[in-house]
Amino acid sequence: MIQLHNVYMSYQRDAAALSSITMKVSKGEFVFLTGVSGAGKSTLMKLLYGALKPTRGQVVIDGINVTKLPPSQIPYLRRKVGVVFQDFKLLPNRTVLENVALTLEVLGWSKKDINKRVYHLLKQVGLEHKINTTPLRLSGGEQQRVAMARALVNEPKIILADEPTGNLDEASKDQVLAILKEANIKGSTVVVATHDRRLIDSCHKRIIVLDKGHIVEDADVSG
Amino acid sequence: MSRDKVAKRPKLAREGAGGRFRYFLERALLNIRQNLLVNLITVGTISLAFLILSLFLLLYVNLERVTENWSDRVQVAAYFDRELSPGEIASLSGKIRAIEGTAGVTYISRQEALKRFSGRLKGQESLLNGVTPDILPSSLEIRLKRDSRDSDSITTYVSRLKKIPEITEVQYGEEWVRRFTDFLNLVRFIGALVGGFLVLAVVFIVANTIKLTIFSRKDELELMGLVGATRWFIKAPFLIEGILQGVTGVAVSILVLSGVYMAFLHNADILISFNPMLSGLLFLPIEYLAALLAGGAALGFLGSLASLKRFISL
Ligand SMILES: Nc1ncnc2c1ncn2[C@@H]1O[C@H](COP(=O)(O)OP(=O)(O)O)[C@@H](O)[C@H]1O
Ligand SMILES: [Mg+2]
Repeated sequence: MIQLHNVYMSYQRDAAALSSITMKVSKGEFVFLTGVSGAGKSTLMKLLYGALKPTRGQVVIDGINVTKLPPSQIPYLRRKVGVVFQDFKLLPNRTVLENVALTLEVLGWSKKDINKRVYHLLKQVGLEHKINTTPLRLSGGEQQRVAMARALVNEPKIILADEPTGNLDEASKDQVLAILKEANIKGSTVVVATHDRRLIDSCHKRIIVLDKGHIVEDADVSG
Repeated sequence: MSRDKVAKRPKLAREGAGGRFRYFLERALLNIRQNLLVNLITVGTISLAFLILSLFLLLYVNLERVTENWSDRVQVAAYFDRELSPGEIASLSGKIRAIEGTAGVTYISRQEALKRFSGRLKGQESLLNGVTPDILPSSLEIRLKRDSRDSDSITTYVSRLKKIPEITEVQYGEEWVRRFTDFLNLVRFIGALVGGFLVLAVVFIVANTIKLTIFSRKDELELMGLVGATRWFIKAPFLIEGILQGVTGVAVSILVLSGVYMAFLHNADILISFNPMLSGLLFLPIEYLAALLAGGAALGFLGSLASLKRFISL
């Protein structure tokens, strides 16, 4: 589902944010990507949804070679990949419903189908009562769950979550993790970037450890 | 697995160009409502800019009209060496009418010429005692079409007129025509200069206002791209919004202009108007209003298009 071959990525000429990354994530896997702040987790995630192109090497997502993808084709890649952004990226002047609906509007769904599907998803993340609220009136944990609903609503093949438990309390973290696991059980391949050791320890999944842009450990502890 | 649910895709209700356009239009209207303040400021700025431009146009159009009316005085008189029979005059008039630029031909008989002459000597008609009509020549008086009243056109016209054998002499106020032409050209030149400057200013102001409104929504543009929207899917509602802003702005400016016109201008005298028929300004002709609206729409569209380019990387 996700394949990287000898990938290098540098923002500036001499400093590589990622070096010789080779990895493979199979369909239906649940993977933690970890490492200290600045290790290159977010950079790696951005390569996976086409926000960045690697300086060198190949990135292949569900059979699409992202490295060679012309800009006009990037939308079709992104429809396969649901991303939960570190900063949520919710639109403050739209309701929760409208924020989540965006993913489906882009696909050309009818309003009726969108409303049904969004309601279903919001119920799943426990926010159906906030459907007409704007994001700024929600708590951090609630905003995070709206962001997740938006990423999950079209049942993407791949789900990427960057620090999804960033500033959340324990209860919210558990909710977030439960939602991601549920999506994984339903068939999505999930990659979670986090430096939260406790989150990783709380479930036995494959862990890829980055340090200064290198993969220093790739351990499947789900055994 | 649940992937199958996606395989049974819900129907795409917005198929075909019409459905798609309706979606984009709805989206644009919703965007306007959700960004009402920014839109009001944009529309306000556009209408202010266009108000200045249309006010200038109104004054210019009237100035040009008044100036052109002066040219009604331009007349060409053709004389012949002998008296012509009515048949000859008719055929001669026909030949003259065939010349490009002729608006009308009137025969002035000797009696008619004397009557006019004595009319000009009001109060001193006694000077003409004993004068018979045959001291004045008969002539053909030719009026020219508006676009043939400048120096160059008249010169060409007169040279054609002189090729007609029966005509021996042609008179027109050569000096006056030249000065009139120079003045009209000056009015037009200054009009084009000021107008061009105003148009540039309007384009600059409107484009920058739109750029700011789009900049204020760059997060939205970015996010649309991240959830898989194609370039045109992102752009279309913004372009429609730009067109609506442009058209609304111009419409408001026209409304304000007509208000100002009703209140102050429609019966205001123009100082330079020598013709009493022409006191009071005319409102902008409908073609100008249509052109202003079209200009607003085009500016809104192009301004949005140019600004969007900077924020969409797809
Ligand atoms: N937009 C950018 N421009 C330049 N350098 C960047 C940019 N984004 C990240 N970096 C650098 O790349 C490295 C990896 O960053 P990042 O992928 O954000 O790490 P992480 O998400 O693991 O904290 C860091 O050294 C960071 O300073
Ligand atoms: Mg990061």
